[in-house]
Amino acid sequence: MGRYLIRRALFMVLVIMIVSFLTFLIFVKLPAGDPARRAVGRTTTPEQIENATKAFGLDKPLYVQYWRFLKGFIPYPGLWLTEDVYYSYGNFVPVKEELARRIPITGILAIGAAVIWLSIGIPIGILSGVRRRSVADRAAMIFAIIGVSMPIFWLAQLLLYAFWFKLELLPSSGIPIGYNGWGGALRAAAEGRFILPWVSLAYISAAFYARMVRGNLIETMNEDYIRTARAKGLSERRVIYKHGLRGALTPVVTMLGLDVGLLLGGAFITETVFGLPGIGQLAVQSIPTNDFPMVMGVTILGAFIIAAANLIVDVAYAFVDPRVRYT
Amino acid sequence: MGNMRRGVALKRALRVIAVVTVLGLVAAACGDGGGDTGPTDEPGQPTAELEGGTLNMAMLADVTAAFDPQKEYYSVTWEYYRCCLLRTLMSYEGVPTDEGGAQIHPDLAAGEPTQSEDGLTWTYQIKPGLMYAPPKEDTEITAADFIRAMERTANPKANVGGYSFYYSVIEGFDDFAAGDATEISGITAPDTHTLEITTTTPLGDVSYRFAMGTSAPIPPDDEGERLGVAEGHDRNYGRFLVASGPYMFEGSETMDFSADPGDQTEAPGYVPGRQIVLVENPSYDPASDELRDHYPERIEVRIGGDNDDLYNQVEQGELDFVVDGAVPAEKIRDYQTNPDLQDRINIYASDAVRYVSFNLGEPPFDDVHVRKAVNWAFDKEGWRQLRGGPSTGEIAGHIFVNSLQDGILADYDPYQTPNASGDIEKAKEEMALSKYDTDGDGVCDAPECQGILTISDREDPYPEQTALLTQNLEPLGLTLDVKQLERGTMYNKCLDPNSHHALCAAPGWGKDYADGITFGEPLFTTAGLYESCCNYSLVGATPEQMTEWGYDVTEVPSVDEMNEACAALEPGDERFQCWAEYDQHLMEEVVPWVPYLFDNSVDIISANVENYTFDQFAGLAAFDSLAVPGNTS
Repeated sequence: MGRYLIRRALFMVLVIMIVSFLTFLIFVKLPAGDPARRAVGRTTTPEQIENATKAFGLDKPLYVQYWRFLKGFIPYPGLWLTEDVYYSYGNFVPVKEELARRIPITGILAIGAAVIWLSIGIPIGILSGVRRRSVADRAAMIFAIIGVSMPIFWLAQLLLYAFWFKLELLPSSGIPIGYNGWGGALRAAAEGRFILPWVSLAYISAAFYARMVRGNLIETMNEDYIRTARAKGLSERRVIYKHGLRGALTPVVTMLGLDVGLLLGGAFITETVFGLPGIGQLAVQSIPTNDFPMVMGVTILGAFIIAAANLIVDVAYAFVDPRVRYT
Repeated sequence: MGNMRRGVALKRALRVIAVVTVLGLVAAACGDGGGDTGPTDEPGQPTAELEGGTLNMAMLADVTAAFDPQKEYYSVTWEYYRCCLLRTLMSYEGVPTDEGGAQIHPDLAAGEPTQSEDGLTWTYQIKPGLMYAPPKEDTEITAADFIRAMERTANPKANVGGYSFYYSVIEGFDDFAAGDATEISGITAPDTHTLEITTTTPLGDVSYRFAMGTSAPIPPDDEGERLGVAEGHDRNYGRFLVASGPYMFEGSETMDFSADPGDQTEAPGYVPGRQIVLVENPSYDPASDELRDHYPERIEVRIGGDNDDLYNQVEQGELDFVVDGAVPAEKIRDYQTNPDLQDRINIYASDAVRYVSFNLGEPPFDDVHVRKAVNWAFDKEGWRQLRGGPSTGEIAGHIFVNSLQDGILADYDPYQTPNASGDIEKAKEEMALSKYDTDGDGVCDAPECQGILTISDREDPYPEQTALLTQNLEPLGLTLDVKQLERGTMYNKCLDPNSHHALCAAPGWGKDYADGITFGEPLFTTAGLYESCCNYSLVGATPEQMTEWGYDVTEVPSVDEMNEACAALEPGDERFQCWAEYDQHLMEEVVPWVPYLFDNSVDIISANVENYTFDQFAGLAAFDSLAVPGNTS
């Protein structure tokens, strides 16, 4: 197990390096125009462009430039998102300070949405899988098809329009002034300010999970060991919930890890539509302003979270599926 | 103007345009003027019943440089400065042009400046006894603080993205900026309340330049550092801003400038990308200020959100105003047609122009007849309709917005066509005079007229607009090769003469202050040429420059002398007339553009707002005049 974890951790580092290098290339080398010029704005002097060139290390060889940015990913004091490189040209704040300020919002959004979609998606999937071709199954699948087909930006605006603007049942978008940190985010959640964002995110994922659980359950229920369980005289209820479900839910763990990781990296559309000052909104604000250090910070944070979520999922597999052994 | 490096950041112009852009709109008669809401009153003498309350605003995006006065080149921030945070030597009343909004008045200055006989030195007396906001409430605003601000304006580490070029004309400014001098020789403080400014050339608009945020005084710190409280904050002084206006960032009193700059804690009222909270500055003396209303006792601004949803919140009264949004078309329709809502929509000319620019070095546009032919063929009304119709602005017949010329050219359009839809026959007559139409049939028959490289914006409505232009120019034998790019990339390409684009189809330009120089100099003189910004047409480029940039055409017209002559005049009728003649010369002799629209600003306000005025200087609502006495926190 220990060797496996070390191997996976090294693999995670490799993934982050590849992502960081690609991001670096995209933002530094591929766009039209000089990144230093883009950073300093259009009214500028050759001296200022030169200063920005030096600040970005663009006067250095490519590998040196990359190493300056890469060093910032080392979680060690003095290196981790160091301010001489990771300093926003848009907001004029250290990138790590800005990320830390936004993580509570994104965290609560992602976790709350995951709880909702699991609470809805899995029961519906089970119901459909157990009662195939019933009215309930068909209704559930219609629910699922609508969900997976619906663009999230449209659903989000529709929900806002209906439940806030017209019916006035739920709060409008945005987080009130002064709701800062984890305390502020939790307070906003307690006031129901996350309900619509959660539902927007959760509906689409719940629909997807319902379809997945249904398909897995149907497939599992045709396995030999299920037949054996029935042959031993176990009740159908026990066959389904004790044996069938365990096999059917294993892939859900994989997907959940990836999906939550993805959301923690930033729910771009949801945060933008609902005015939630999280990681996704930060990315959306930073890209048009060519705030390269901030974009790098967001990208790497996202890559790190997804890679870490992957690792956790793989480890969790051992507990969910006894057939999995780590070597 | 000598070797001054000048240019006006398109960054700000873009933001000005952004505020009024994509107005996805409806036909409705509008132009200059709109519906002021609420009682008329004298600025600086607040009407008691309008005072108090919390003004709730939202912004889609944060300001551009975290409120650093030496970096912020953005109309929205300029309004925060003017209305609320920073007082300057001179300033504006925060009203529309027709109510005097383009006129400048003494603010921290005790009166109008005096000018030396040679026209080079301006002397300002500063009002005594005015103090800064906490934590500098015991520090008086003095002449030395303006010098400090100018030194920071000249500092290339602190002024990134700003507009220091406006101050190059001060004697010794460029030397100080280059590190060749220890002080700016042209700005001195003979005594605590006297400031003398000496320019290298006679200049009529010095007071306008000292009405911009970068010139606002910076208080000294306890250690006597050169940049005062801004010392050690080259990148982030905005977050440590010490206010001099009626408001300050909430919690400003907690800042401790005696600590090492790295250990200082910023005012908590401004959280970049998230919120701005302004509270009343206890040091502010309303009796010293005849320009501001300062109605709300508190201003709260949320940053981020969805445009349409924010306007729904205005409609519901949860927000009072959206600072940088684009009012959705259906809302404009509702507010213009519903009698209950009509007093809550405000439409004003925003003092910005939209245009298509020609590259005078790139055939076939090196020929003035081709440029004129395009002006004749251009369907301006079609372009306006594609933007949303008449409420988006007024058809432009010339380059400078009308307020910069006191409306002298309001009815002038040398290429006027029926319904502003273009006249292909006149265009052909003009094309027939061109060297690129060898048989004189009004159709270009030279290969240079094929595949003309046109740079445009990929966002709506530009693709449709360039498609219309392509259609309009076909009868003249001109075919376009349109490259639609992300906006920032587009501007970089238009700016770069090495790109050899022939047409730049999507730029816009807003004034920096109410004077023609903010159009004339950056857009058409050598001072605005690459790299400083924004003379895309290359007007005034020298043969050496044209050769260096790889052009076969090396002779292009110049208007530098004309610009310099206008710049030297005193503000007033003669100066207005000079800019008007300059504009006419551009339109008829140089023809660097097709100007097609003078943009409007469209605002809606919540029912909570009992007073609204439009600040012509920033091209936005005057925040301090948005009265919400009934709003409680």
